This record gives sequence, C-alpha cells and structure tokens, in this order.
Amino acid sequence: MNSLWRGIVGLLVAAVCQLLLVRYLPAVGRSVDLFTVLVMFYAVTRRRIGVMVMGTAAGLAEDLLAHTFLGMNAFKKTLVGYLMGMLGSLFVLSQPLPRFGVLILATLLEALTEAGLVLVLGQHLVLPTATDLLRLGLGNGIAGILGYWAVSKLVD
Amino acid sequence: MNKSLPERRPFLLLVALLSSILVLMSSQVRTIRGTTLLEDSLLNVAGPFVRGVSGGAGSVAGVWGSYADLRGVWRENQVLRSKMEQMEEKGREGEEFRMENLRLRELLDLRRSQEYPSIAAEILALGSAGQSRTALIGRGTRDRVRRNMPVVNRQGVVGRVIAVGDRVAKVQLLIDPSSGVAGIFQRGRGQGMVVGMGDEGCRMEYVSELENVEVGDVVVTSGLDRIYPKGITIGVVSSVEEGDQLTQSVMIRPEVEFRRLEEVLILLRPETAGPGQELLP
Repeated sequence: MNSLWRGIVGLLVAAVCQLLLVRYLPAVGRSVDLFTVLVMFYAVTRRRIGVMVMGTAAGLAEDLLAHTFLGMNAFKKTLVGYLMGMLGSLFVLSQPLPRFGVLILATLLEALTEAGLVLVLGQHLVLPTATDLLRLGLGNGIAGILGYWAVSKLVD
Repeated sequence: MNKSLPERRPFLLLVALLSSILVLMSSQVRTIRGTTLLEDSLLNVAGPFVRGVSGGAGSVAGVWGSYADLRGVWRENQVLRSKMEQMEEKGREGEEFRMENLRLRELLDLRRSQEYPSIAAEILALGSAGQSRTALIGRGTRDRVRRNMPVVNRQGVVGRVIAVGDRVAKVQLLIDPSSGVAGIFQRGRGQGMVVGMGDEGCRMEYVSELENVEVGDVVVTSGLDRIYPKGITIGVVSSVEEGDQLTQSVMIRPEVEFRRLEEVLILLRPETAGPGQELLP
C-alpha cells in the first residue's frame, strides 16, 4: 500500500473513531482530537510535505464533520503540522515522551492559531478555558501515545 | 545563503495551502456590509487594477472622443466659416443697399425741391479721354431725355446732356474743358462764365476786376445760359488771381465729387435751349 492510500485509510479511521467517540462517549470525544493525533503522527514520522497535505486533508474532514467554518481546522492543522514537522527534523521525536510533548504543544498551538484566525476574520472570539485546553492536550497526548503504539504494532 | 527551489518547496506549498484555505474561509465569512470577506478582499485587490484598466480605457475613450469631437468641431467650424462668409457678403450687400438708399433719398429730396420735373439716372460709365470729361447715364429718349438738359445731384451741377440714345445719354461734366455754365457769386452777385479745367476743377471767366471776390465765396448758376436753372451750386472759389484786360482769374473747386458719381438727376426742362442758343465760351 503506498503512502497515499495509507494516508486515506488513516484519515478514514481517525474520522470514524472521532465520530464514534463523539456519538457514544461525548466526554471523551470532546477531550480528544484524533485528526490532530493523525497529523502529528505524520509530523514526527514523515516529511514536511506529507505532513502539510495530511494536515489540510484532516482539517477539511474535521471541518466537514464538525460543521464549522470550512478551512478553520484545515488551516490550523496545516500550519501546526508544518511547524511540528520542522521540530521533528531538528529533534529526535521517536520516543513516547517527546511525542507526548509534541501533541500537547500542537494542541496549544492550534488553539492559538484558531484565536488568531478568528481575530483576522473579524469574528467574535471565544477563548477556550485553560482546563478545556489542558484536558484536550492530555487527551491528544494519551491518544497519540496509544495510537502510535498500535500503529507500530500493526506495521510490525 | 539562498536556498534552492527544492529546499523551498515545503514552505511554498505551505503558503499555497494556507492561502487557499484562507480564501476558502473568506468566502464563508460575511462582513457587516453583507458581502463575504472573499468578495471584499477581491474587491480591494482588484479595485485598483479595475480602476486602472477602466481609467486607461476611459482615457483612451476620452482621447478618441476628443478626437471625434475635434473632427466635429472642425466640420462645424468649416460650416460656420462658410455661413460667416455668406453673412459678411450679405452684410456688404446690405451696406451697399443702405448707402444707395441714402443717395437715392437725397436725390429724391433734391427732386422734390426742384421746380422742374426730373428723372433719376444711374451713372453707367465715366469717361476721360484727354482733357474731356464725360459720363454715360442710363436714361435716353424713351425717358424723355433730350440734349442740353441739365444734370445735377445733391452737391450741385454735374453737367448737361450732349448726346442722347434710346436708353442711354452722354453727359458733359462741369469740369470738361468744353463745358460752360453761367455763374454768379452768391455773396457779391458778380457774374461770369464757369469753364471746365479737367482735374484742376473750373475757372470763372469774365469776372470784372472791380468785383469783390474772395476765396471761399460760393458760385451758383445764374440761369442766363438758359440751360441750368438759377441758384444751383457750382462750387466755391479756391483762388483769385489777376487776369487779362481788367478781369480776374477766379479758380473754382466744384462741389460735386465727379470721381464718385453714382446717381444723378436729369432736370426735364421744357424750355431748355437748343444747341445754337447755348452760351458757350
């Protein structure tokens, strides 16, 4: 399976899982963003171009599913994926702990990017609370560690 | 160091992706004016270009319009020039008619003031062969014009008819050397014979040295020649000199401007003297 199909499959899996979580475990669904987890996986394991393409695709998929501004998540995930990809090229991020940190950092950066975008677009800004942000960061981190472990097992 | 294109590719792709996403988002965000952000942005970006293009097009259209207007103005100018020339021509004709009208009025007044019936005539030609001074007028025997009828205008004596055709007549002018008119000084009442001197005017002969004649004295017809009625102005004395045999040589400047004769009045005198009865010098 080439990288394109792998990416599509990964995207589909993330979308289905996110939908299921929101539907059946809303509290968990609000505390984790599997699209971010997917993009960050690409950021620490793939080249930057692939990260950006995945970021855009995942973001658009999330926008479609969440019925938000089409492009909001795409913008966030593309930009943060690019930045995290740069970070991955500078540091070794193959261990679970750095990857956990990357996921928390990515969650924070996405929140910041969203706030900036909202301001740029002249929309009403509603900042997430620190608790929500921390919970989302931790949720992404944990989901990422588990997900990356699962993927590595599948690949092996 | 400048990075090569492959090294820049991720960044360029990032910019392209983010720009595309921003455009996508802008198309959904509505501004307070009711338009989308994309429409606003496009308007702002395209505005100067459109203004420039439309301004350029407007300028070209303006230049073309000016050229077309100029052509129109040129044609209009030609038409107006032509009309102006026609109007000027009409104006000149009108002025000519006005002047002629004035002259004819004067002639009419003169005619009414005359005790004899008269007829107006147009000068057809002025002749000057040598010292001879004659004029051809547009009246003849059909108009009851006969030889020796006096011809006058508002200024005074013009001459007399010396030959008559059917429709034209020849007039011997006062200044013709063969012309002779019996004259009298209006102030001193001394008499004499006024003869023509060509372009020099006239000379009054047979004026006694005893007569008190001064420059400026007016000379009128005396009526003794039986051609001209009494009292018509001949001219004014321009110089007085001692003559032969106890006479004075009196030079007279005629009142009539013979070079500018256009219309005259022929006095239809029934008792006009025949050729043999003229008092010629």
